Amino acid sequence: MPDLPDIEVLALAKRWVTRDQTVPALEGISLTVAPREFLTVLGPSGCGKSTLLSIIGGLIPPDAGEVRVTGRRSAGPDPRKVAMVFQDPGLFPWRTALENVEFGLELQGVPAARRREIARGLLEPVGLRGFENRYPRELSGGMKQRVAIARALALDSPILLMDEPFGALDEQTRLLMGEWLLGIWAKTRKTVVFVTHSLQEAIMLSQRIVVMTSRPGRIKASFEVALPMPRDLNGPEATALRAALWAEIRDESLRALESGL
Amino acid sequence: MRVLGTRVGLLLLVLGAWELWAGRQDPLLYIPPSKVLPALVRVLRLEAYPTLPEHLWLTLVEVLVAYALAVGVGLGLGFLLGLPRHVGEIYEPILAGLYAIPSVVWYPSLMLFFGLGPASKIAFGFLLGFFPVVLAVLTGIRSVDRQLLTVARALGAGRGTCFVKVILPAMTGTLLAGLRAGLALTVVGVIVGEILGARAGLGYLINYAYGFLRTAEYAALAMVALTLVMAIDGVAALAEGRARRWAG
Amino acid sequence: MGGVGPRVMSGATRRLAQLGSVGLLVALWEAAVRLGWVDPLFVPAPSAVARALVAIGPEAAGLLGETLGKTLAAYALSVGLGVGLGLIIGTLRHLYDVLNPFLVALYAMPKILALPWILLLFGLGTAPAVVYGTLHGFFPICLLVVGGVRDVDPRLIVVARSMGATAWQVYWKVLLPAALPAVLAGLRLGMIFCLLGVLVVEMFGGIRGMGFLLSAMANAFRAAELFAATALVSLLSVGAVLLLESLNRRLSRWR
Repeated sequence: MPDLPDIEVLALAKRWVTRDQTVPALEGISLTVAPREFLTVLGPSGCGKSTLLSIIGGLIPPDAGEVRVTGRRSAGPDPRKVAMVFQDPGLFPWRTALENVEFGLELQGVPAARRREIARGLLEPVGLRGFENRYPRELSGGMKQRVAIARALALDSPILLMDEPFGALDEQTRLLMGEWLLGIWAKTRKTVVFVTHSLQEAIMLSQRIVVMTSRPGRIKASFEVALPMPRDLNGPEATALRAALWAEIRDESLRALESGL
Repeated sequence: MRVLGTRVGLLLLVLGAWELWAGRQDPLLYIPPSKVLPALVRVLRLEAYPTLPEHLWLTLVEVLVAYALAVGVGLGLGFLLGLPRHVGEIYEPILAGLYAIPSVVWYPSLMLFFGLGPASKIAFGFLLGFFPVVLAVLTGIRSVDRQLLTVARALGAGRGTCFVKVILPAMTGTLLAGLRAGLALTVVGVIVGEILGARAGLGYLINYAYGFLRTAEYAALAMVALTLVMAIDGVAALAEGRARRWAG
Repeated sequence: MGGVGPRVMSGATRRLAQLGSVGLLVALWEAAVRLGWVDPLFVPAPSAVARALVAIGPEAAGLLGETLGKTLAAYALSVGLGVGLGLIIGTLRHLYDVLNPFLVALYAMPKILALPWILLLFGLGTAPAVVYGTLHGFFPICLLVVGGVRDVDPRLIVVARSMGATAWQVYWKVLLPAALPAVLAGLRLGMIFCLLGVLVVEMFGGIRGMGFLLSAMANAFRAAELFAATALVSLLSVGAVLLLESLNRRLSRWR
């Protein structure tokens, strides 16, 4: 008997209503994510992928359709099931790296000694041992994002949602962070939904790629990525996949560009 | 629109409550709005204080002279201390430290030196208005991007050109804010000076009315003073807007 | 044009130059009086001021205590009200929209226009000084706190919410620490404003305290004593601000 999906999105729709107009952000999105699957959502700017992720995370309510997380209808942020990482690390500047990682545990009332232990344990695999007592302003962009990811991992939730987490980093750091993330995923076996607009990242990281249209966002295509790890990004299969993805996404990107996004 | 309505409603509520409550107490002491309005009419018609225009004019002149001095000395000292290397670093903390002293402590010394006449009010207004101006100049100079100067010099600009075409435009925003703050403080300084001890001027009149317990007229004069303050700040705001647009 | 750009001088050199300049000024001032360039009736020599300082010392200390007491009472009230209301108005959008213009307008108003009325209502004693001092100190504190709360990076709140923080937790663990720098700035400014208010009341109403001492010495043409008293109040104020500054630095290590 196959596993029940961790995430089910059914006929999701979302509109943004301002004083002058109503803009449809998402229309008729249906999606399932299997447990321990690494899914990438790929799409042009403004297609609503961040909105989709926020709805799955319970931060925004949908206008139509529903989201079920581990079988239950999503009614708000549930840190026991879903942890989120954003493009901006969003570290609390008045807390040290260690204290930032402890934040989620603090919210749940975990006692101090235990919190400290867990947080310290999480900063080591992200390569930040020795930086526990540094403040965010003393950390580089890549380090900040690693702290943010450690903070999310501290929640020990089965599902991890990541909204372009490496978007603000330079190319070399991005590649290294991608490799490192794969290592974490292999070890923790979480269900990951990863949003990006980078074809490279999508091919490198995911087991399945879902392509979205430009606004209003719909699911255009889905690609299984059966390449063995570690991925050879220059090999024939990766190149073919890249071409296929670009074929799907090019028109959408062009449309997004032309509509002034 | 709803917000404006709520604000107006709040204002009317406060005035109404005050009127009701003051009406039941001693009206002389609690000055209900219903007493202030006729007093205001009397004051504006110059029936209560026929010499009001002269007093008003004196206050205005004091403000203008004090502000002219504050701007002149403030800008002069600011650029003198701010442009040469290191000088600003030495003296800005001293000025900032002086700013931490409540300005009114200087007033008795000023009254000793200048007497009760307009001179002490001008001196006090100058003192209050001077600090924001000079600090704005120092901050403005300090925050100019060194890179801009490097570029200008590489393009062959001399000292004078650098000053006029790079430093001044870069600090316009800070400078205008400082000039505006200086004016507001100068006005307050002159009024405080007049209320604390004077022989003429709007503040003196307010003190006079209070001394004779003509409280409604005192309230009316206070409103006149408020209007003056707002009018001056309004003019300053317009000037600032105009100057910002012109400076680009 | 070397003054442009960030600071480069060493702290020690700077201190030396500052002390040297002040010392030079005092020396010139002393010389000017001794040589008869200025009238000692209006501008007393620094040595005369020093002597006067010793002479009025005990009495001035008592009056300083009076003023300080009233200032601290006014300060406690302004901080309590200012921070409290500032946090509430800053967080509740509708309240902010309605009340902010009033706050800004009242802040810009010269409060001294209300002073005669306050004296009428509260008489001549400690009460009007505390009331007026509170009035003076409340508005800058409240406005700074409102600004600080509204300036909190909204992304931090999103992060907290995504981790399941309740409204109370967001308030306590995110908004307050993020707004703390603004609150500290308000505390520093509020102290100066409260002291200013108390001094003005003492001067205007002839109420016992340093303000009264200053105006009394001025009226009696006792210039040396006046300068000495002015110096005392200035030292008090600078000292209080330095204390608050060091508190600010201790709490702002993360910046």
